This record gives sequence, C-alpha cells and structure tokens, in this order.
Amino acid sequence: MKDRVFDVFARKERGEPLSHIGYVDAVDAELAKVYAWRTYDEQNWFEMCIVPRTEILPVNRDDGPFASGGGGPGQAE
Amino acid sequence: MSLPQDTPVRALRRRVLALADTKRLLGIRYSDWLLGAPSIEDGIACSGMAQDEWGHARLLYALFKEWDEDPVAVEQDREPGRYANAPALDDPLDDWPDVVAVMYAVDGALSVALEAMGEGRFEVATSRIPKMLGEERYHRDLASAWLRRLSGGAEEGASRLRRAVERVLPTTLAWLAPEDGAHEALVAAGFDAPSVDLEARWVERIGEGLDRLELGMPPRPGEWDPERGRGPGEPDSEAVERARGDRNRMLFVE
Repeated sequence: MKDRVFDVFARKERGEPLSHIGYVDAVDAELAKVYAWRTYDEQNWFEMCIVPRTEILPVNRDDGPFASGGGGPGQAE
Repeated sequence: MSLPQDTPVRALRRRVLALADTKRLLGIRYSDWLLGAPSIEDGIACSGMAQDEWGHARLLYALFKEWDEDPVAVEQDREPGRYANAPALDDPLDDWPDVVAVMYAVDGALSVALEAMGEGRFEVATSRIPKMLGEERYHRDLASAWLRRLSGGAEEGASRLRRAVERVLPTTLAWLAPEDGAHEALVAAGFDAPSVDLEARWVERIGEGLDRLELGMPPRPGEWDPERGRGPGEPDSEAVERARGDRNRMLFVE
C-alpha cells in the first residue's frame, strides 16, 4: 500500500474558520487521523479534520498548491 | 489518609503498583521507537504515547501517598525483581509487530484495568482516571489501524504479528485479571471488578484483532507471584535504570 497525502485542517474555537495547519502521509484515513492528532498537538483544538489531497478540487487555477491532486508532500504549504 | 477504613491496603497497593510500573515500562518501550518506526508519523505517535504513559505513571505513583508511603522511594529505589509490570514488557521490543502487539494487547489491558478501578471506591484514583482514558483513545486507534494493516497485508508481517500477539496474551491475561485472594479482597471491598469481568472486557476489546489473526485466548501460565500480582521474571536492568532515573540522579549535588 502506498502512502497518500492527507491535509490537516483545524480550528481553535467554535465559530472560527478552519485553517490549513499541515499534512501527514498515511496509507489510509484511519492512520491519518491518529497521525494528524499526534503531529499537530501543539494546540488544544476545538475541531480537527483531514482531507485526502486528491479530493481537493482546484477552482480558479491549475498551478496552485493543491492542483497536482496529491502529489509531493508539502505542496500546499 | 482518605481511604475507607475497610480498604484492603496491601491488595490495593499491589494493583496500583502493577498499573504504574506497566505504564512506566510501556513508556520506555514506546520511546525506543521514536526513531526507526515505519514512518515519521508513527515515530511522533510513539513519542506522544511515551509521554502519556510516563505522565500517567507519575499520577499513579503519587497515589502511594494515600497510605502514607513515599512515591519517590517507590519510583527510584526498587530492584528489577520488585517491579510489577505486565511481563510482556520485561524485554525490549524487537520489531514493529512486537510494538503493535503490545500497543494492542497490553495498552488495551491497561485501559480495561483503569476503567474498572475508575468505577470503584478509590476516590482519588477515580478523579484522575477519565483524563487518562481520554488520552489512551488514540493509542487504541493507532493499534487497531496497524493491526488491520499488518494482518491484512503480506504474510510475513501477518505471521510476525500473530506470533507477537500470541506471545503476550497469556501473561497479560494473568496480570490483568488475577485469580487470587488479594484480587478477591479488592473486589469484595468494591475497589476493582471481578477477574472474570476483566477478562471478558479485555476479550471484547481485542476480539476483532484475535479474529483477524485467527487466535483464541490461550490458558494462563502456571507460575504466579502473588506478591507482585504477575508471573515470574523481571524487566531488564537497563530499562529499570531508565525507569528509576539513575543516571539523572548522579548529576544532582546534595
């Protein structure tokens, strides 16, 4: 099984917008959730979500950081 | 001292020590895998789990004050033969399937034991246990994810994991659910769950993994040390030196 890139989004307080805080490499979503929580634990997050990078669809340009559809890690940084 | 008058202190002490020593040793074994885990993310997870276990161990050793015993002496002055940890942690974990087996079975047994104590009459402990169990949730998630991955992957990984889990089951069962007078005294006084209940909860918790690995619950090992509430053996001396913090204390100036 090959690792996929999962982007990590979180908010500190209820009502705050979700922010992109980083990414993890994982073979599946189950492991990605644990990795994300463990890797980005510097805040007491109200909410954290992950999204497979391949599921993020670029809208206005095809050379943006998410446009490659899950390519190299860190492209969204 | 705030314990009820009918507290079986000797049995309660044995149980708390078994939990605290297991958490301390588990933290050491996890910490050995900060580097060398299958991915950086797994190493970070091991680091977090090691810190969780050491934090919990510190809280559990502090409970010794409840019967007027110095926690520092308990943490720093015991020989390996007096450690009451789950025997599966006596030796370093050789490969990642060993780590997954311990994360799944031993870490899981710790949670079951804490849950049971948290439902009992040891009030100082019951106030601390929910936070510990909350932090342990991610240990369980990581263990389950890795168990599924290894058991459903290449035969080499699956058979190594099967052997590793098979190895830790008997001694961990005996450690989690003692069948002796001390444990019965704890149960009778309302401080812990009956042995049969602890075993059932553990089997329910790890049952999916046992099914995947086509393993049943093996019989308990024959030998038993009633003083420590575990089978024979002891942790390796290097781990105990780390657990006690021997090298750090050499730096202190009186």
